[in-house]
Amino acid sequence: MPTSSMRKVMRRNERRLLLLVAVWGTLLQANALLAQIYLPKPPPEPSQYGKVILDNHAATGPGPVVFDHWLHRSKFSCRLCHVDIGFAMQAKATGISAASNREGFHCGACHDGKHVFEGKTIFAACGDTAEDKQCSRCHSLGKKEARKNDYKEFTARFPKGIYGVNWEAAEKSGIIKPVDFIEGVSVKKAPMQSREDFAVEPAFSWVNPITFSHKKHSVWNGCELCHPEIFPAAKKGTIRYSMFSNIEGRYCGACHGKVAFPLNHCQGCHASGPLWAP
Amino acid sequence: MSKKMLFAMAALLVLFGQAPSQTGVKKRRPLPYEYGRVIINNYSEKAELAPVVFEHWVHRSKYTCRVCHVDVGFAMKAGATDITAADNSRGYYCGACHNGKTVVEGRIVFQACSKKGTSEESKRCQRCHSYGLKVASDYDFFHFSEPLPKERFGNGLDWEKAEELGLIKPASFLEGVSGKKSSLALQKDFALNAKVEGMPDIIFSHKKHTVWNGCELCHPEIFVGVKKGNTRYSMVDISEGKSCGVCHTTVAFPLTDCQRCHSKPV
Amino acid sequence: MFKRKIVGAVLLLGLVGPCAAQAADEPRRSAAQADAEQKSWEKEFDEVCSKTQDAMTFSEEELKDLIRRCDALLPQIEKLDESQRKVHLGRLRKCRGLYAYVLDAKGNEKK
Repeated sequence: MPTSSMRKVMRRNERRLLLLVAVWGTLLQANALLAQIYLPKPPPEPSQYGKVILDNHAATGPGPVVFDHWLHRSKFSCRLCHVDIGFAMQAKATGISAASNREGFHCGACHDGKHVFEGKTIFAACGDTAEDKQCSRCHSLGKKEARKNDYKEFTARFPKGIYGVNWEAAEKSGIIKPVDFIEGVSVKKAPMQSREDFAVEPAFSWVNPITFSHKKHSVWNGCELCHPEIFPAAKKGTIRYSMFSNIEGRYCGACHGKVAFPLNHCQGCHASGPLWAP
Repeated sequence: MSKKMLFAMAALLVLFGQAPSQTGVKKRRPLPYEYGRVIINNYSEKAELAPVVFEHWVHRSKYTCRVCHVDVGFAMKAGATDITAADNSRGYYCGACHNGKTVVEGRIVFQACSKKGTSEESKRCQRCHSYGLKVASDYDFFHFSEPLPKERFGNGLDWEKAEELGLIKPASFLEGVSGKKSSLALQKDFALNAKVEGMPDIIFSHKKHTVWNGCELCHPEIFVGVKKGNTRYSMVDISEGKSCGVCHTTVAFPLTDCQRCHSKPV
Repeated sequence: MFKRKIVGAVLLLGLVGPCAAQAADEPRRSAAQADAEQKSWEKEFDEVCSKTQDAMTFSEEELKDLIRRCDALLPQIEKLDESQRKVHLGRLRKCRGLYAYVLDAKGNEKK
C-alpha cells in the first residue's frame, strides 16, 4: 500500500513526465512548422515553373487565369510588365479585372486586338465581341483545351540549365531578344548608370559568399523594378534579410522563388555552393 | 502547471503562425487615374454614406498645392484634417469652393454636403461619397490627360511641362480665402549628396517647388532643419512618407522615378 | 401722498429707463462689436499671414514682430466657432511656424 509520501512522489513524477512530454511535443510541432518555411521546396518541373494562377473573381466569370511566364519572358523584359505596365509580383496583388483590361491597362496594354507584335495582331483580352470568345486562351485552369504554345516545342532550341531554360545564356546567344519598350506604354528615359557588382556576405561561414551582379539584373529589370520597393535604397548592410525571407518570397525571393532560377540552385548565387550541396 | 504549458504551446503556435510584415515585395503600380487618390472616411460611414474618394489629378490642374494645403487648410494625410459636413456647409475646407456659387472655368462648382436627405440630394452626395460605388464622373482621365505631355510614373503626366507649355494654369489665389500675396523671393537650388556610391547627387530645385507650394507648406512642418545637413533623412525615411516622401510617394512623382531627383551629371 | 408717489415713480423711471434702454441696446451693440472684432482679427490675420512669401527678405526685428502678432491672434482664434477655429488654427500654426523658422535660419547664418 503506498504511503502518502510515496503517493506524493508518484504525483510529482507524473507531473514531471507530463511536462517533459508537453515540451517535447511543442518542440516537435515548432520544428515541423519551421521546416515548412526553413527549407525551399523542390521547384515544379520546368514547364510548370513560373506559372501564376490568377483567381481574383472565382465566383463569377470564366474561371481562374493561368499565366505562364516562360512565353512572355522570352519576348519581353521583366521591366516592361512589372514597371511600365505595373503588374505586382504576387498573384492576385495587382487586382486585374476585365474592366481594366478593356480600358487598356494590365493585360489590355498589349492584348487589345490592335497591337501588332512579331507580325501578328495580339488578341484582345476580355473582348466584347463574339469572335473574341477566346476566354479559355487565358482562363484555362482545369480545361483540357491545348494552349496555343507548347513549352517543349517552344523552348526546344533554348540552352538549358539545371532547372529548365538558362535564360541568361539564351539572351547572350541571341535566341531571344526581350523587348524593353512598347510605344504608348513605355516612356523613353535616359538610362541610369548601372552599379557595379558587389559581394554579399552570408550569415554563416559554411556557405560561400554571394557575388551579386547589378549588370545582369538591370539588363532585364532596369532600376525601378527592385528599387525602392523590393530593396529599399539604403546603404549596403542596412537592410537585413535572410534565406528565410527569400523563401517567403521577399527580397531576392520576389523573383527567385517562383520565376527566376529557384533558390534550390545554390550555385547560382553562392559561387561554388555550400559544402554539402551536390 | 498544464494550463501554463497549454498557454506556452498556444503562444508558440501563434508566433509561428503570424504573417510577416510585407517589406521586400513588389506591389502593384497604381494606374494613372488612380495615382493621387485619397480615401477620406472620418465620419462618412457613421452617416451611412460611402467614404469620400478624392482624386488629386482633377484639382491639381486648376489650383496650386498651396491654395488647398495652406490657404484652405487641408492636411497632407488622409483623415488628418477632420473635415465634417458642417465645416463644408459653412464654407470651409471643401466648402471653400464647393458652395454652389463659386465659378471655375465657366461652371458653377457644386455644393458639398447638404442637410436634406432627398434622392436628388443623394445623387450630389455620391459625386464625392463614391467609394465602392459605380459613379460616373464629370471628368474623364483619358480625355483630360490626352493633350498633356507624358511621363513615366504616377499619373503618367509631366505636370511641370504641362504648366510650362500653358496647357494647365493652376491658380495660386482663391478669392475670399487667400490673402493677397506678393511675388515670391526666389530661393536657391542646391545639391544634396547621395549617400550610396554610384548614385548621382540630387539637385533640389527650390524654384520648382515654391511655384506650387509657397514656403509654409514645407517649412517647418515637413522640413524642420534650418541649416542644410542638419536634418538627416534617408531613402527609407522617404519611402515611409517622411520629408520628401510626404508628397513623392502618393501625389507627386513617385520614388521609382530616380532620375527626376538624382540628376546631377556625374 | 399721491403726488409724491407719482414724482417718485417718474424719478424712478427716469433712472431706470435709460439703463433699460441701454440694456436693450446692449445685445445689438455687442453683436456689432463682435462683428467688428471678427472683421478686425480677420483683417489682422490676412495682413500678417499674407507676407509669408517675403519672409526671407525681412529683418530679424520684423520677423519677431510678425511672430508677436501671430501670438496675439491666437486667443482670438481660439474663441471662434468650431469650423473657423479648426481652419484658422492650422493656418496660423503654419504662418507663425514659417516666420519662426526663417528667424531661426537667419540667426544660424550669423553663426
